[in-house]
Amino acid sequence: MIQVLISGLFLGGVYSLLAVGLSLAFGIMGVLNLAHGSMAVLAAILYKKTLVLYPFSPWTFCVLATPIFLGFGFLLHLIIVAPFRHLSLSAGVVASLIASLGVALILEDLFVWWQGWEPISTYITFPTFNLMGLKIPGLRAILLGMAAVTIGLSTLFLKKTDPGRSMRALAQDKEAASLYGINPVFTSMGALGLATILAGVAGIFYSSLYPLGPREGLDLTLKALFIVVAGGMGNLRGPAVAGLALGFIESFAGVLFTYTSTDTVVYSLLVVYLVLKRGGRQQ
Amino acid sequence: MSFSIIILTALLLSSAVFSKGYVGIFVFSLIINGTMAVSYDIPGRSLGLISLGHAVFFGLGAYCFGISISKGLSFFPAVILSVILSFVGALMVTLLMAGLKHGYYSLATLGILIIFQKLFETLESITGGSAGLYIPETISKLHCNLLAAFLLLATAACHVLFSRSRWGLYSKETEASEEAAEAIGIPTRTVKILCLMTAAIPACMAGVLHLARNSHVSPVSGFSLTLSITALLASRVVPLRGILGPLIGALLITAAEEVIWTKFEGFNQAWFGLILLGAALYQGINFKRRKTISAAAENPLSR
Repeated sequence: MIQVLISGLFLGGVYSLLAVGLSLAFGIMGVLNLAHGSMAVLAAILYKKTLVLYPFSPWTFCVLATPIFLGFGFLLHLIIVAPFRHLSLSAGVVASLIASLGVALILEDLFVWWQGWEPISTYITFPTFNLMGLKIPGLRAILLGMAAVTIGLSTLFLKKTDPGRSMRALAQDKEAASLYGINPVFTSMGALGLATILAGVAGIFYSSLYPLGPREGLDLTLKALFIVVAGGMGNLRGPAVAGLALGFIESFAGVLFTYTSTDTVVYSLLVVYLVLKRGGRQQ
Repeated sequence: MSFSIIILTALLLSSAVFSKGYVGIFVFSLIINGTMAVSYDIPGRSLGLISLGHAVFFGLGAYCFGISISKGLSFFPAVILSVILSFVGALMVTLLMAGLKHGYYSLATLGILIIFQKLFETLESITGGSAGLYIPETISKLHCNLLAAFLLLATAACHVLFSRSRWGLYSKETEASEEAAEAIGIPTRTVKILCLMTAAIPACMAGVLHLARNSHVSPVSGFSLTLSITALLASRVVPLRGILGPLIGALLITAAEEVIWTKFEGFNQAWFGLILLGAALYQGINFKRRKTISAAAENPLSR
């Protein structure tokens, strides 16, 4: 039982990381980015390809790949956010949703072409240690700690730095923020860049723990969206907690039901939650 | 309207003439895509809802029919039973979805599609698992094509009747402002349910006929995201009002689908993604252009 809880905690840590990025993008730009999970898969593939040349640890690669993912975020902004900034809020959400779905579908085929159908696994051996009779896998513990540090740093960035404050101002009132000299285009570009970095880190960590299929991007995005909807769109603390909860739910569903039914449980919860919360009415 | 009637008549005639071989399959796919697109357009156009899970109804219809046939029923009793079962299933899905708006609705429909896909993979004893259901041929290919053509005619008639009825006007008002519509006494939830059910039933029937002609359905092909996207694209790609837009859209998308499947093997999903992206970008660019033109017209200094 406790071992299942621990396993859920590690998985939840990665989900939290993924969801925090998505929540950031929605909170600041009102974008439901369906290509978010594909960015995680892209990071995992890049890490796998790099491992062949240089045996970087996941955390070293995360630091090195940050500028690359910032660039991907900027590029994504040009495709799924910038063309729709003149549309109304609801029309903009739908248009960016469709555009990001298009990007996700294109990327999925490109990933299969690039690296084949086999799942991406970047597992590295790391010692397991004992804590009061419980077996704690060292790599998972470190990655969980790294995920917590990344979320903490993102929160600090948003609260204590000028670009972070600009992003929060933009999320609250676009017109007022513009009057105070904040450039909405550059600020939202930065926000999507940060969100993409978080997706990249999540992808690298995920592939270090579990095999990740090249077409699993959309699945990851949907799980992250579930977490964001459950935890509250636009804030970071809620999705972080809800991500952990999803990790526990998946771990327990895997034990109580069959492995294949975990997704059914998770998506059923998503729909039930959406319906109960009547998300649309609150928009 | 007259152009739509010409297209529908041409499809009806070609379904009777071409029932076998490659052309027969193409005509059948065209009619099924047309039915999906026209039915998708009913809530899509009048309520402004973007569904990513329209194929749920298609899959429900196909599986209800397949299970009925595998239990020993003949064609017509199986069709009747699957219509009843699909109606109940579609009503349950619609009741769940009716309260949602905009991006949340799209997200929930995508979630529902994946739930059904996973659920039908899990229920192996009834649905055949991920391998799917195989059924024997129950009616001839010619009858299948003709029934599909009549289904398309009926769906088009439903579209026209709904949009011209008071419920169609109610749904327009609901799309413009749900709060305002409620304030003037429009039962918005009933309008949404009626509109979504009008779209769901033809999709279920399309699923039934698809299985009857192809003898096989699997969770991936029945509850297919690609099929949902095809319906979305076909209903949106041609910016014409009424049933003409979805009909021409279905023609273009089915032709594009054939080219993509044969010429770009392994990249068919990417091409769909590219078309989706193009459609979304066109919407954004076109809106900006119209806004610039109207702003220039209002500004006396620009004259």
